[in-house]
Amino acid sequence: MSLTVAIQTLTREDERREEVPYGSPVYNSVVGFLIKEARFLDHRQFKQWGDILAEDLEYKAPVRITRRVQGFDDEFGTIGHFDDDYNSMMVRLTRLTTTSNAWSEDPASRTRRFVTNVSVWETENPDEYEVLNYLFLTRNRAESKDYKQLSAERYDRLRMTANGFQLARRSILVDQVVLGMPNFAIFL
Amino acid sequence: MKMEARDAYLKQAMSQFIDVENREVSVAALHDQQLYELELENIFAKAWLMIGHDSEIPNTGDYVVRLMGEDQVIVARAADGQVHVSLNVCPHRAMHVCLADSGNARVHKCIYHGWAFRPDGSFIGAPVEREQMHGNIKTKEQLGLKKARVQVYGGLIFATWNHDGPDLEEWLGDMKFYFDMLFDRTDKGLEVLGPPQRLTIDANWKTAGEQSACDGFHTLTLHGSVIDIGAMGGESDTEHESAPAMYGINLSGNGHSLRCIPADTSWSLAHGKGDLTPEQRLEAFPPPGITTELLPELKKNMSAEQLHVLAKAPPVVGGMFPNMNILFIYSPLRDGTLGAALVLHTIMPKGPHHFEWTTYYFAERGTPDHVKEMMRAAATHGTGTSGIIEQDDSDTWPHMTEAARGVIGRTETLKYQAILGENRPADWPDKAKVYEGFGKDDAQWEWWLAYHKLMTASA
Repeated sequence: MSLTVAIQTLTREDERREEVPYGSPVYNSVVGFLIKEARFLDHRQFKQWGDILAEDLEYKAPVRITRRVQGFDDEFGTIGHFDDDYNSMMVRLTRLTTTSNAWSEDPASRTRRFVTNVSVWETENPDEYEVLNYLFLTRNRAESKDYKQLSAERYDRLRMTANGFQLARRSILVDQVVLGMPNFAIFL
Repeated sequence: MKMEARDAYLKQAMSQFIDVENREVSVAALHDQQLYELELENIFAKAWLMIGHDSEIPNTGDYVVRLMGEDQVIVARAADGQVHVSLNVCPHRAMHVCLADSGNARVHKCIYHGWAFRPDGSFIGAPVEREQMHGNIKTKEQLGLKKARVQVYGGLIFATWNHDGPDLEEWLGDMKFYFDMLFDRTDKGLEVLGPPQRLTIDANWKTAGEQSACDGFHTLTLHGSVIDIGAMGGESDTEHESAPAMYGINLSGNGHSLRCIPADTSWSLAHGKGDLTPEQRLEAFPPPGITTELLPELKKNMSAEQLHVLAKAPPVVGGMFPNMNILFIYSPLRDGTLGAALVLHTIMPKGPHHFEWTTYYFAERGTPDHVKEMMRAAATHGTGTSGIIEQDDSDTWPHMTEAARGVIGRTETLKYQAILGENRPADWPDKAKVYEGFGKDDAQWEWWLAYHKLMTASA
């Protein structure tokens, strides 16, 4: 098996069709979805967050590798910090919402997700969009005066349903090779 | 520090930090800067350290850069087909020679002045050969990258700076008999499923080090949420009695350790009660990571004694002294079948208050690709960065380290006074120290004794 992933399989540029113009109704509704999602996660509304995940979810955060610059576009490994589908994500959410001893987030982190630089493309499927966005996340816990920070690109596939958008796929490309935070007990 | 002063300090420090009679370790040992510097010299420059797997560098010129303590090394496959481990420091001006963390190169050329080295660390030359820019005081043979001693075991790459110390087999001692059941059991062996996860934990390396030596007890409390949601076995109303396999056989030797969980415990968690002999269970329910197809290879490669252990109580978690943590555990897979997560961690110190936690995932090479992918997902879900088990551990170790900052906090001790004592069952091999029953502090205390021994080895 190969140990690395070509970046194209994560960015899925080949699945993009027309770019959706900045400020158009579709663009605005995608941005609205991303803001709402960040709100759910920052406020630990895990039930609501679970409801916007599609049942064919793919949720991955491949490890990053430092390469010589010629390999800059091939900087990801087959192993991820996340390697989830819908069912495994539901197990994570069940642990957080039904137990009283999920210690890695009790006391909980105070997180802020800043989502920017949103680009939206149509796809072959009229109900689905490819979305690239930047995530800047600050995480503070207990009495720490310092923040753990994380910046990443997210390559999302959103699907319009009768109940609004759902997240069908997410590839999170983190900028750190060695993470500065001790775990991803939070979602990105 | 001068050698005599250092030895004197160590003698005094070890008696201050470790109370052998009462089985206590001073919390100050998680904080002390002077002690830390000596750990780098006496532990991390002396021990055999696991720094990768040969499946990461299959071709000539392939390399990865890894840590041995705080030293970066280049782990490369050279033209001779062998794995070589060389210090990633140019002998000319101490520049890092390799700037990527992996790749393929026939020549490693320092970007500063161009000194060039082969994957085996040997010096090729400096630019402008006629001017002989490496001088004429030292020969080219003397100007190679500093080489570590290397041994590959079960595909795992071990290296040490202790060129005159014990070989790896002697270092592992009796525990090798058991480690073979994890790392050296099939014809083709293990392979990595990708480059490792790496992250920083704000804690002293020994917090994770001592836990790796069979701390089963913490599972009940710290990992209670995983038991509560049924992802770690047991019945909710009787969890403290039955789950997750608190009764078993702990093994310890030279500071290394393994925890063996009776196969009937695993069997009953997966399949309910059944009247099978151990041998029948081994047939129906091979150890973690061994598929039914690989079972004949396992039987061929293991001795009768080893097969008996595997049938009765296979090793599933543990550690290799000083800084490797092992989890070869059963785990449900995406398709609803019961599979395994094969996980190794290394704990590399980054000052007294931080360490790098590196996580490797494995599968037997003979596993079908789609099963490997499910094993990778299962391992990621349970362990490492986002693992629902291990994220709780990464939360605990920084608290212990923080406690050591307080001048009063550091006068407290870590206590290893829950003693089971050696009590080898009659049908268990006479290898290493054997503790059968509810897992207690025995193996973890042995970890500290190994630490004590290595720290004072030169004193």
